[in-house]
Amino acid sequence: MNQRKEDMSRRRFLQSSAAGVAALSIVPRNVLGQGQTPPSEELGGALIGCGGQGGGTFRGLGPNVRQLAWCDVRFADKADNKTFYTDFRRVLERKDIQLVAIGTPPGWHALISIAAMEAGKDVLCEKPMTRFIAEGRAVAEAEKRFGRIFQVGTYGRFGANRQTHKLMASGLLKECKGVVFRRNGFKVKEWSGLVNAKPQPVPKSLDWNMYCGPAPLRPYFPHRVGGTHRGYWDYEGGGLADMAQHHLDGFNYEYAKDFTSPVEIEPFAPPAHPEAVALWGWVELKYADGLTLVLDSGEWGTPYDRKKERGVSPSDLSEEDRQKLKTMPEPERLVSFPDAVRTRKRAGGHAEAAHRTATLFHLANIAIRTGRKLRYDPVKEVILDDEEANRLVYQPMRAPWRL
Amino acid sequence: MNPSPQLKSLVDQMPDPDGRGMYNTDIDKEKTEKAIAEIHKGGREYVLGIIDMLVPPGQGNDVKPHYALHCLANHVLKIKDEQARREFAETLAAQLGGDRPKPVQAYLCQELQWAGHKEAAPGLGKLLLDEELVEPAAMALAAIGDGAAEQFRAALSKAQGKCRLNVIQGLGAVGDKQSAGALREALSDPDREVRLAAGWGLARMGYPGLSSLMKAADVEPGWERIQATKHCFVLAERLAASNQVFAARQIYASLRDTRSDPSERYIRDAAEKALAGRG
Repeated sequence: MNQRKEDMSRRRFLQSSAAGVAALSIVPRNVLGQGQTPPSEELGGALIGCGGQGGGTFRGLGPNVRQLAWCDVRFADKADNKTFYTDFRRVLERKDIQLVAIGTPPGWHALISIAAMEAGKDVLCEKPMTRFIAEGRAVAEAEKRFGRIFQVGTYGRFGANRQTHKLMASGLLKECKGVVFRRNGFKVKEWSGLVNAKPQPVPKSLDWNMYCGPAPLRPYFPHRVGGTHRGYWDYEGGGLADMAQHHLDGFNYEYAKDFTSPVEIEPFAPPAHPEAVALWGWVELKYADGLTLVLDSGEWGTPYDRKKERGVSPSDLSEEDRQKLKTMPEPERLVSFPDAVRTRKRAGGHAEAAHRTATLFHLANIAIRTGRKLRYDPVKEVILDDEEANRLVYQPMRAPWRL
Repeated sequence: MNPSPQLKSLVDQMPDPDGRGMYNTDIDKEKTEKAIAEIHKGGREYVLGIIDMLVPPGQGNDVKPHYALHCLANHVLKIKDEQARREFAETLAAQLGGDRPKPVQAYLCQELQWAGHKEAAPGLGKLLLDEELVEPAAMALAAIGDGAAEQFRAALSKAQGKCRLNVIQGLGAVGDKQSAGALREALSDPDREVRLAAGWGLARMGYPGLSSLMKAADVEPGWERIQATKHCFVLAERLAASNQVFAARQIYASLRDTRSDPSERYIRDAAEKALAGRG
């Protein structure tokens, strides 16, 4: 799905879910279950990371949310620690804020999401969910530990094919011959990094130390900030990381992969640069059940030609199993973020699901960066027999930041 | 050392940045990999030669040697030549703590984080008391793991300020139980971040001293209380996972019973849920 279609889909989704919530009659708290929020009650919200996508992400929190705080490392010259902040920790200390929208660069997504949930807030976080795999696991643990609601800001799964999901989740398909392609739309060249930039003075309005956060404190140059941050492994993973949460969210749900990951990952790419994200050709990811996912950038090298695209359908089952499938219940409807906050039911794009989607492109990027085929254990979430590649699964952070 | 003309010629075969300054045009994978394989044959001499070509950011053009060194680090891993990897790492580690510009040493730390093992630990350890280099050194040691604890421990008594924070966090990152006593003392450090790093480390290693972490969490509302409370939950989970269920339940019960403010209702709920799960 290209960016324009994804934006329109996201807007339609947000509008319909907001309308749905607004249409509910005002229900007193004592009628609802424990912890549920009456739809009429106004909640306090904060936006952390106030750049391009921030406003839209905040609106995703739903209706009846009053914005009480804006936090951005670029507010150094206007922060008053009452409405405008540079330090998200001060925002999370506030008792009048229940919901947090996160629109920072991805290097901060996991840390702030976790900290917000540890502070009792529910979280809507921009994509990509994380910068590396272990972050996603930590977010899922925090969501579970503190009983919070988490959703990443992509909604492909809400429009995915539920019948394919039903088939794949049924357990009846013992050997999956599906080959799913995601071609183009990864903005590889658009979101590459500079390899020859010269350091420049840090703007006075920017808290550069806080901007870098858990990443190495590098000499500043403008390309590392404000959208083009996508081109640096320190903060993201290029267009692949930036776009694949959108491209693969629907796939992950449709093929019932919200609780597992591929076991083999093979790249075709030139040797990667240590700091700047650059070109790649394709990555093939295989699951234990036989399903293959191919990410083909269309921006370098010869296209992938090992397998042909192939869907899955009930015709892949025996007649007996097709009948069994018909008797199985339909998949439950996915819950939107505002509904999840109100009812305390898990959001459709909950942390585990979003983490497993993010794991796909993180594994792809690890394969690209290391230039070699990898084997992955989806239960232990480690790369097998490759200690050095495994260091990219759980990456050390610059103190005082840590998972 | 002056890099040999042969080495310079091989490094020169690395891609040129395009007009935007990116590696987005005419990237020849085969040519690059072939040149790197040839550089690899040059052994330690060629590794040193490339390092000699590195300069601090903005002080010259080292785009190609910078890229070549990383490709070489990856090459020794791809070909699974342990001797070559060790030689590569030892060569880089031997350059640390000397006269090379600090940004260059920081880059070497980064490459050791990529390809170094225990042999790199002493070289990285030399940088733990250097405020400009402690961060890349500590991150590399944390990634390497093996041999890191000794380096962090050795630096602990002398480390101040930023270095102390990095050393404390490093000990927690590698889960050094031998340092549990030092981390427990650090729970009372005047620096909030050191206190929190210590609590994090102790929780991760399943430190059985419940009262220390519970006390650390019993502070005024704010960031420290939020984080220290999290450490209590993590500790409880670690204890439960190691069959110390009674101790885990003590933590949950205490959190349930002491978090009476409405704003901490989610803590009580989480503790009650955990108790019910282990009931």
